[in-house]
Amino acid sequence: MRDSLPIFTKYPLGELLSGTRWAPTSDPERFGMLPLMLGSLYVTLGAMVIAVPLGLATAVFIAEVAPKPVQEFLKPTVEMLAAVPSVVYGFLGLLLVGPWLADAMDLPVGRFAGVGALILAFMAMPTIVSVSEDAIRAVPVALRENSLALGATRWQTIVRVVLPAGRSGIIASIMLGLGRAIGETMTVLMVTGNAAVIPQGLAGMLKPVRTMTATIAAEMGETAYRTEHYYALFAVGLLLFIITFITNSIADWAVRSAGGMRE
Amino acid sequence: MVRQMIEVAMQEDVIIRPDTDIKMEAAGVDMWYGSFQALTGVCIAVPARQITALIGPSGCGKSSFLRCLNRMNDTIDGARVEGSITLDGCDIYSRETDVVELRKTVGMVFQQPNPFPMSIWDNVAYGPRLHGVRSRSELNEIVERSLTRAALWDEVKDKLHQNARGISGGQQQRLCIARTLAVEPEVILMDEPCSALDPAATFRIEELMLELMETYTIIIVTHNMYQASRVSQFTGFFLLGELIEFGPTARIFENPLDSRTDDYVRGRFG
Repeated sequence: MRDSLPIFTKYPLGELLSGTRWAPTSDPERFGMLPLMLGSLYVTLGAMVIAVPLGLATAVFIAEVAPKPVQEFLKPTVEMLAAVPSVVYGFLGLLLVGPWLADAMDLPVGRFAGVGALILAFMAMPTIVSVSEDAIRAVPVALRENSLALGATRWQTIVRVVLPAGRSGIIASIMLGLGRAIGETMTVLMVTGNAAVIPQGLAGMLKPVRTMTATIAAEMGETAYRTEHYYALFAVGLLLFIITFITNSIADWAVRSAGGMRE
Repeated sequence: MVRQMIEVAMQEDVIIRPDTDIKMEAAGVDMWYGSFQALTGVCIAVPARQITALIGPSGCGKSSFLRCLNRMNDTIDGARVEGSITLDGCDIYSRETDVVELRKTVGMVFQQPNPFPMSIWDNVAYGPRLHGVRSRSELNEIVERSLTRAALWDEVKDKLHQNARGISGGQQQRLCIARTLAVEPEVILMDEPCSALDPAATFRIEELMLELMETYTIIIVTHNMYQASRVSQFTGFFLLGELIEFGPTARIFENPLDSRTDDYVRGRFG
């Protein structure tokens, strides 16, 4: 934290946050963090857009629909996916998913924001599935029965009673998934192409980006101690911390207000 | 055999209403949970617009039987029902039966008051919305009418949009009754609706049942024999999965035909 301070004395905060070029080794040096923040935003949001609906659907399927043997097979499988090291996912993205997507969409390279988002989605999903599945299971049987007894179908019961009743757990699961996606370093470093450019529009998903975490991991080992570059990387870390803190606070608030409705 | 029971009852001239007809009828109902047989050969005829009480010691099958009447047992793995149960003469276990329609017609109030985690208004409007009522003004009307019928309107009319979990247990149970009334059932099944309530709240629910009897056929499972004798016109006594005796409440309590019924209503066991 203290190591991030010197950079703020040399460059005004506004310039750091809104600067559009991250070029620590050029002359003069530029430490615009906007491309990194947008890179993280693209990859993370992209991942959540895929992971949340898919994860929730899987959780509902496991908890409510699947017959017992299928449940007993799926649940440990999903939980095991959460234990796979991120480098392995990175490899899968690098060697399989990236080239395959590039082929399919006729892109020059197989390393871009979309691959990162897709792989991160798969990394965030086990958390979302297993935590929200527990939340769904924790909804009392009596509530379901009350709903069914009023002539609701099973599907109506899930959508209108079970999911709202379990929403604090479901929100928590999404936030945990989000946390994993924002903080993930190795995978995105491997598959997103690492070009610190500002992604633009939806097409940005198909261009290389670089996230905050990947920047720190890639450059920290190679900067000289106590140079501006070194301080700037710490500032990126600080920024990342602030962003995660804000997300968690929002999540906490959401869980609380949902929980308030429950009691 | 079932008709005979009703006729016997009628001859004993304890019927309150002259136009009593049979609303639901069970004949030879056997029920299993997996390999455990919970009900054996239950035959009963439930008269329309009367209160029928089902009594018996814990585990005697009375709740299981109640749950057969709106097919709530369908949701339990391994539960199986044989024999016939009819509603207005139609077999509710036939292939053509629409379970959703059945449960609209045969509503259920459970032991624990269990409002959904949403506002009072949303709780009552839940059923009608499921069944396609969209207009806000129509829903408002249904909510007010149902809450009024459940004798709850005056207590909650100023907090309709507050969370339903915030009202008292007795109020919650009346809310659950209002929620059931909102889908306009013909039969209301009540599974020990007062066992989680204090005497004052119990009294209000019993009063309410006697009012609702004018319009609805009510079947109540209760542990409380005093409750059965206070509110019901007919009583069935269950023991170990069999219906031992069924008849007008006064006769069951004062002059039972079966010695086991006699023992139970006199409090010698159970």
